[in-house]
Amino acid sequence: MSAAWTIFTVIYILAAGFLFTHKLLPFLVTKAGRAMGFKMEMSPIWAKRIARFKRIKRGYYAFRIITTLFVLSFFLELMLNNRPIAIHYQGKTAFPAVKEWLHSVLFFTDVTYFQKKSEWGQIGESEVDYRRFKRYSRDPDDYADIAEMRKEIEGKPAPRKEDSYYQWEKYQKTKEKIEQHEALYETFKDGSAWCVMPLYPYSWSEHLLDLPDRPPTSPDWQHPLGTDDSGLDVLPQLAYGFRISLLFALLVAAIGYSIGVIVGGVMGYYGGWTDILVQRFIEIWSSVPFLFTIMIIASIIQPQFLHLVILLIILRGWIGITYTIRGEFYREKARDYVQAAIAMGQGDWKVMTRHILPNALVPIVTFAPFGIVAYIGSLVSLDYLGFGLPVGTPSWGGLLNQGMKHVLHYPHLILITAGSFSATLFCVVMIGEAVREAFDPKVFSRLR
Amino acid sequence: MHGMMTYFIRRVLLIPVTFVCITLMVYSILRIVPGGPIEQAQLQIKQAMMQEGGGAGGGDMTGDLQIPQDAMDALKEYYKLDKPVLVGYLYWLWGVLTGNFGTSYIQGDPVLKVIGSKIPVSIWFGLSGYIATWLICVPLGIFKALKHRSVFDTGSSILVFLGYSVPGFVACMILLVLFGGGSYWDLVPLGGFQSQNFAEMGFFEQILDRAHHMFVPVIGYLITGFALMTILMKNSLLDNLGADYVRTAFAKGLSERRVIFMHALRNSMIPITAGIGHALGLLFAGSFLIEKTCNIPGMGLLGYMSIIQRDYPIILGVLVIGVLLRLTGNIFSDIVWALIDPRIRFS
Repeated sequence: MSAAWTIFTVIYILAAGFLFTHKLLPFLVTKAGRAMGFKMEMSPIWAKRIARFKRIKRGYYAFRIITTLFVLSFFLELMLNNRPIAIHYQGKTAFPAVKEWLHSVLFFTDVTYFQKKSEWGQIGESEVDYRRFKRYSRDPDDYADIAEMRKEIEGKPAPRKEDSYYQWEKYQKTKEKIEQHEALYETFKDGSAWCVMPLYPYSWSEHLLDLPDRPPTSPDWQHPLGTDDSGLDVLPQLAYGFRISLLFALLVAAIGYSIGVIVGGVMGYYGGWTDILVQRFIEIWSSVPFLFTIMIIASIIQPQFLHLVILLIILRGWIGITYTIRGEFYREKARDYVQAAIAMGQGDWKVMTRHILPNALVPIVTFAPFGIVAYIGSLVSLDYLGFGLPVGTPSWGGLLNQGMKHVLHYPHLILITAGSFSATLFCVVMIGEAVREAFDPKVFSRLR
Repeated sequence: MHGMMTYFIRRVLLIPVTFVCITLMVYSILRIVPGGPIEQAQLQIKQAMMQEGGGAGGGDMTGDLQIPQDAMDALKEYYKLDKPVLVGYLYWLWGVLTGNFGTSYIQGDPVLKVIGSKIPVSIWFGLSGYIATWLICVPLGIFKALKHRSVFDTGSSILVFLGYSVPGFVACMILLVLFGGGSYWDLVPLGGFQSQNFAEMGFFEQILDRAHHMFVPVIGYLITGFALMTILMKNSLLDNLGADYVRTAFAKGLSERRVIFMHALRNSMIPITAGIGHALGLLFAGSFLIEKTCNIPGMGLLGYMSIIQRDYPIILGVLVIGVLLRLTGNIFSDIVWALIDPRIRFS
């Protein structure tokens, strides 16, 4: 595949991802909402806020970039993978990457995407070497091993079993392999075998054994971002790490803010002893050094993804928003419209959710991006310290940790990881700043 | 003034409650899970016997090691593991109150001695970082406020956002890669507190050596607080510049310089100065991430290593120091605020 073709494909994928995220998805959501009987129209004040957000170009572009990349990252298995999208050999076709993708999206299903070598024209019982399969299916003469093996045994007398059993066994096995390969050569030669690899044919989980040097290796044409010290390609690790980090932060923010809004709302709405007791509890709870506590717990239970999400929500995620929401509810409750609703006999829950909450949404929306920055930072810090996601999960923190081990000789690990990490956070900060300016504009008046 | 006294008394009374809640939580976590001192002792004895056995040329190494029951009981009694969690905690708490934090499982030294030797290192870097933050952020914030919406303001805002999106320890890493003598330039050491031959140096060499080692971590600490402090300074000054008393001052005919620096600036320094209490934790206990990245043997690295080595007395000791610093720091901030801002009334 030529470089021009690769660049063209990348641009094509990005454009398709953009159109999908920002044209098709909103359209579908609106249609679905209307079909379910919702009005799907924004109140004028929200329409105004969003229009103001769209006018702040840097934040709006950052928003488009991040959301496009995030939605695209749910299709990573089809773009950065060592398994082919489709593979055809001797009349049968399989779709390992598609199956893997389905498995990762519908993680509760039981899908096997493992393909045995012996069934796909290779020797052995382990998983097919798809990149090699692709090479042979394009050019059967690329069977380099045969030539080498033939060189090894041809022209020499066959070792006798009595002299050296080891030599004899080796000879027999090599001979057998050559025969098998020759048979395979015939099947590949007719050109009926084919295989469609993803755009970047390396996966985050494949330890590469055919590297030119001992890993880690610096960037080269085959692995444009280099490999790490266990022979894993850095590029797919970064991409899958992006998905995991952002998903993690979004989950913590969403659940944490929901809990925080409920707690803060109850505090502000009811006031009195409820308020005082919960305030004291929050005061105590917010003094827990959360990074240290998570490290202690993580050193013991070796947390999975969801454990970390829950830990971070419990220790930190719900607290920050309660202060503002409590204030908002406290203030709104005194307003006439709320008193009117209460006088009409509306229940507490309904008053809180239907009447007050829509007026208290602004702080949640303006807090969220900065919360996401903080949670991505927490995950990367924990991974870096070795108390984060289990070993064998693609993670930015893990790459940084490796980078510090090879700080003198392999700068690519740190520079690339820190660069993409900071660029991601920078985009989210830009979004947050624009959202704040659009939703909660501050006008500074000055005399001179 | 009466309301304020009750406020502070309540805050001070809340300290012991908070302290007990947090330490009890962590103590219980540490007690309930495996990997405690008994397992550590078993491991140590096992290793010792392996070495001995290796020297003697044999012996049965395959079976599980059995510690005699009475030795086991003695160990459990020593570590208060034979008692319920709560009783063990009370023993530990009594020890803390009488100044006895126990001894480190790994090093065998008293916890207070170990921590005492690490705190100065952390303060050295934390304090320099904090001073650097002040020296850079306050003037920058003032300048940004005075030139609000100018080219300089927009340009430096990009810097501020960048500082917000690059965590301090990641900045340290980038600096170490670029200037640590690896693939690019060799300007700074790869970490540590001072050079190996520090004791043999002359006075000025020592100062230079310290400064040499301080460069990267101090920038790390600087970036940690850079964005928030600059923005706080700028917004605080902007708020004050729009206030009525500033208008009055201008109306009196005072010069612009005098109004800004004598009237507005003094009031807008209040929130920043009061933040000093919240920075106490970072000042004394350092940051895990920066201390690990730059390999500084301070409190942060001690806490990190103690978790890896399961050295429970040290973990609890570091926790105690951290929690106390945070709690007193918050109150300290309030006191400072009340002292410098006569308008503040806590209740």
